[in-house]
Amino acid sequence: MALQVYTASLLKEGLVAYLSLKDGVPSWTADIREATADTADRLDSLKAAAESAEQDNIVVAPYVIDVLETENGWKAATKREQIRAEGPSFALPQDSSTAHRSDESRRAA
Amino acid sequence: MGNYIKDRKPATDEWMPFTGLEDNDTLPSGDIYVPLEEWLTRRESLLARNSRLGVSLSNTDDVSLLIPDLERLDLVVLEFPKMADGRAFTQARLLRERFGFKGEIRATGDVLHDQLFYMQRCGFDAFEIRDGQDVDGSLKAFTEMTVTYQPAADEEFPIWRRED
Amino acid sequence: MYQYSEQDHQLLLERVEQFRGQVQRRLSGQLSEDEFKQQRLRNGLYLQLHAYMLRVAIPYGLLSAEQMRTLAHIARKYDKGYGHFSTRQNIQYNWPQLEDVPDILDDLAAVEMHAIQTSGNCIRNTTSDPLAGVARDEIEDPRPYCELIRQWSTFHPEFNFLPRKFKIAVSGAIGDRAAVAVHDIGLRLVEGPEGENGFEIYVGGGLGRTPMIGKLIRPFLPKEDMLTYLEAILRVYNQLGRRDNLYKARIKILVHETGEEKFRELVEEEWQKIKATGLYLREQDVERIKGFFKDPDYETLPDTDAEFENQLLSNPEFARWADKNIELHKQSGYRVVYLSLKSANQPPGDVTADQMDAVADLADKYSLGQIRTTHRQNLVLSDVKLQDLPALWQELKALDLATPNYNHVTDIISCPGLDYCALATARSIPISKAITDRFDDYDFVNDLGDVSINISGCINACGHHHVANIGILGVNKKGEEVYQLTLGGSAREDASIGKIIGPAFDADQIVDAIGDVLNVYLENREEPEETFLATYRRLGQDPFKERLYG
Repeated sequence: MALQVYTASLLKEGLVAYLSLKDGVPSWTADIREATADTADRLDSLKAAAESAEQDNIVVAPYVIDVLETENGWKAATKREQIRAEGPSFALPQDSSTAHRSDESRRAA
Repeated sequence: MGNYIKDRKPATDEWMPFTGLEDNDTLPSGDIYVPLEEWLTRRESLLARNSRLGVSLSNTDDVSLLIPDLERLDLVVLEFPKMADGRAFTQARLLRERFGFKGEIRATGDVLHDQLFYMQRCGFDAFEIRDGQDVDGSLKAFTEMTVTYQPAADEEFPIWRRED
Repeated sequence: MYQYSEQDHQLLLERVEQFRGQVQRRLSGQLSEDEFKQQRLRNGLYLQLHAYMLRVAIPYGLLSAEQMRTLAHIARKYDKGYGHFSTRQNIQYNWPQLEDVPDILDDLAAVEMHAIQTSGNCIRNTTSDPLAGVARDEIEDPRPYCELIRQWSTFHPEFNFLPRKFKIAVSGAIGDRAAVAVHDIGLRLVEGPEGENGFEIYVGGGLGRTPMIGKLIRPFLPKEDMLTYLEAILRVYNQLGRRDNLYKARIKILVHETGEEKFRELVEEEWQKIKATGLYLREQDVERIKGFFKDPDYETLPDTDAEFENQLLSNPEFARWADKNIELHKQSGYRVVYLSLKSANQPPGDVTADQMDAVADLADKYSLGQIRTTHRQNLVLSDVKLQDLPALWQELKALDLATPNYNHVTDIISCPGLDYCALATARSIPISKAITDRFDDYDFVNDLGDVSINISGCINACGHHHVANIGILGVNKKGEEVYQLTLGGSAREDASIGKIIGPAFDADQIVDAIGDVLNVYLENREEPEETFLATYRRLGQDPFKERLYG
């Protein structure tokens, strides 16, 4: 049975996030490799945590995706979800002179 | 009901709807409004009543069917089955601007704070706010936007012709 | 350009406060996502694949240098340092945070800009000819009419919850640079029977899954009737447009299903009832708005310049650029300059904050402080003196904005595709890059002449692939991105919808396929002046099919 993880967009930031559940404590991470994965028949506690995060206005529209196990941890199964996990598939336009707000400082939750 | 706004204020709704589908076929006393179909079939007996009368339209009904009776009617209820369905905006403007209806035009259905500004400009003066909404908070909708560009039921001229 | 009145300013400030309240209601949980979505979409805010996306309106594609600097500031302060110019002349930011959006709108309002009605089922930003007011083939400047439409359509109380989105474009020239044929309503200024100007009115053009060319429903409409007539069309659409099926809700389907003749009757009947109302445009109403778009004080200059001529002869790189990216101007001694946003180094239409600031400076220095955006996702400096062209070129080259490819094979329209868009089914930007990398030889590009390639990453066709000479549509086939080719489209005055040539190509085959198509053209054209489109229209699909699949 395929492994699955919960993903959503963070309400405040709009950024992609994955649900991690450690010792029953939920958190949302930008890194799909840190997500908690399970088979479809054992998703109940993840589902409950995702739905309560939606109700608490932390995330928007959570849903499950299939993941594959690789040497580096979970990888999304579809092209769309791979791009969602990793960002656009090319270097973003950038000025050499300007320092932007880094991704890290924008990732919350 | 607690969700009724008239002339920009919370108010008590004194009207009684009568759909024609009620168990009892006798019309209730007092001010009643009926669906268009009911109006067209019982028109004579309704007109003979000694009360105020209203008609409710679905948003696909032809407003012009009411033209002969607009003098006698005190209420027209227009429906927003979904927020996104804006057909009743046109019905309201036709009633007010083209047919000169002076009575109450009421919005019912999926009616929220964020449509009220547009509705009042189209000639609505009464609103049944959807259940569970903050009615007092919704009143802000009548004052938060003050600039209007186009003619509508509330303005005969566009902004560029109002100075003269 | 148009200057805001006190009331125009007031409207923006009220709108920002209203939206700030809506954001607060959402963050505090008073509004559900479904309810908030209706509100944010009416203000250009989408939730995309990676983040929120904010679309900012650029009314009829006209920007002051100051406005461009504000766009740069927003890119830097609230986003990742760049923005994306769209086919409808707007700019999109890909990474704003929800709680910052009211502040972004405040910054925009300070320079008379906003995101009102840049999405949602309402009348969108009106687009126009980027050469308005300076084009040699112009009958009349369309911008005053665009501004009147802007005012009429902004928060129109009756038409803010239409069956579907509604796009209007206005062109005032013989050549169509605004794609009026593929808009819900297209207006073209034409000379009337008695010598006075009026409009041709096209209704029901559009792309998406059912592409259609707009139907001419009125060959001549006096200008004073423009807004009453638009109101009549919108009223018929608001009442009769389909609301049962999202894919059949655009006005093109209504026109198609009702029939052109019957639709015209409905509009004319409604119009007769409202043509004498307050929306009737008196001469003084139009004249007042025209006053904002008067010609600047052009200098009297000869249409020749020694240094310019010298550079053309001595500097081949400059000569190439001048040949491709400069257009004649109605005023002697001036030229229109296209700034190509189609270099090999950035996605089509993308501009960094530094580039925006630099373009603003160049506009101040060389082009009367104004910039225009184009339907093909480029920028224009509209009033450059001939004598300044060599210096301007040097600066543009340093900014990577001088790729000599305007209206040529690498001047590609591309939607953001699966790299950004929540609706997309395939990537488009990497395909445009692969094409640009392959056809990087100037002589080849020059030899091909006028040809358009447009790429969409899904059936919604934001990349306008239907109206490209060579259109590419990315689709998902069993988990793989594959690309369909359409040939023979045009978005200009000879508008047509391209036809699918055959089965789709894999991502690693599509560039070769484009190469084959171009070679069939080069081998079969009757003379170098025969364009790709003319050759295709003469020969039909067969020779192309044979090369691609034979």
